[in-house]
Amino acid sequence: MALGATLKRLTRFDRYLVLSLALLVSASFLLLWGRQSGSRIVVDADNRTVFTAPLDDARHFEIEGPLGTTRMEIADGAVRVLSSPCPQKICIGLGDARRAGDLLACVPNRIVVRIEGEKEGEAYDLLSR
Amino acid sequence: MFNRSLVPILLLLMVAFFVWQRQPAEDSLLSRTALVMGTLVEIKAYGDDRELLEQGLDAAFAEMVRLEQLFSTHIPKSEVSRLSAADAPLIVSEETATLLGLGLKIAQRSDGAFDMGLGKLMPLWGVESDQPQVPEEQSIALALKGIGPDSLQISEQQVRKQTPGLQIDLGGIAKGYAVDRAVEKLRQAGIFSAAVNAGGDIRLLGDRQGQSWRIGIQHPRKAGEIIATLALQNRAVVTSGDYERYFEQEGLRYHHLFDPQTGRPARGCQSVTVVAADAASADALATAAFVLGPQKGLALLERMPDVEGFLIAADGSKLATGGLKDILEWH
Repeated sequence: MALGATLKRLTRFDRYLVLSLALLVSASFLLLWGRQSGSRIVVDADNRTVFTAPLDDARHFEIEGPLGTTRMEIADGAVRVLSSPCPQKICIGLGDARRAGDLLACVPNRIVVRIEGEKEGEAYDLLSR
Repeated sequence: MFNRSLVPILLLLMVAFFVWQRQPAEDSLLSRTALVMGTLVEIKAYGDDRELLEQGLDAAFAEMVRLEQLFSTHIPKSEVSRLSAADAPLIVSEETATLLGLGLKIAQRSDGAFDMGLGKLMPLWGVESDQPQVPEEQSIALALKGIGPDSLQISEQQVRKQTPGLQIDLGGIAKGYAVDRAVEKLRQAGIFSAAVNAGGDIRLLGDRQGQSWRIGIQHPRKAGEIIATLALQNRAVVTSGDYERYFEQEGLRYHHLFDPQTGRPARGCQSVTVVAADAASADALATAAFVLGPQKGLALLERMPDVEGFLIAADGSKLATGGLKDILEWH
């Protein structure tokens, strides 16, 4: 067997080198796959980023805007607005944002939430609402 | 012997090189959001030259901010506010006159279903305030005085209101026009692939890296879900619906899309989506078709040249123009 003969001829250094490179390649693939599922939420208040967190990090958080405090929740891989001082509460009615590229906004309180991460298998590029 | 032992090492190095060099396909995408004209505006642009994309997006957002100053009813010195306050003919900018002219044309083609003279209705109902209310019939009748497709006379840049107290509201067309202008700024900057989305008023510049843009249309009764997708290039898409800006009283939903004939929210549709060459026309036609209701609204979209669309009726039934069949996918 050519491969067996080749392996026999490898020095100990060669084997360590091959093993190191194999580990490096495996780590590279893991890194790429890991990036695809590692979505984050980014929250801007008045056009300035004020909060970021992984989308799988379940928690409640509060963002201050000109009208007061907007309360949000990350849960089940999605972010949603729980309460807002704005008059219409449109932001609460927008529901969940969970896909990379999804946006939520409370226009009166000047807060924008977006999901950043790799996109895969999505049904659309832009949403008309 | 050393050469042979090098073969697997070289192979592994090549694989490692391939993996580390692999770049995500959307590295050439620049996407930005901003709150302009009372809505969330998102602009996406593709290209190799990052600096050019940055400049294009800067110019596009700046253009929308400029137009907000021209058309907002909340800015006392805007041309729209000055026109509402005027009791004599007023000279306006060329682009305001052009936009008013387009609005009047759609008002006429829709038999008055689209109307730019409803400026008194929105504050009367307070749909966007924290104290919305169902007004008295008498107040509604007063708010409708002087409206209609003939309410404005435009002669070059001079605009005359037939009824001096008429209040102008370009809410059903100005956002679409601003989207059109933003796309023009992107084009002037040398960008060939981009999309501007101002709260659902979308205009597409070119394609999306050789493919059609996929536009998801919001389900009017299921938040976070889409009811359809459209595959489009170089077109505008606008959706008008009763599901975002509304209040409920005694089990009835009162939204912001008013029927000029009654001064009350139109009841025939849940949402209307219009596909047209420009977003200003699509914006006004979506409002007009919504007001007309499913059958007349569909007929309006069918008879407008270079326009397609679909309507979700109040009972949830779906109606679409014939030209959409190859690009519309229901979900």
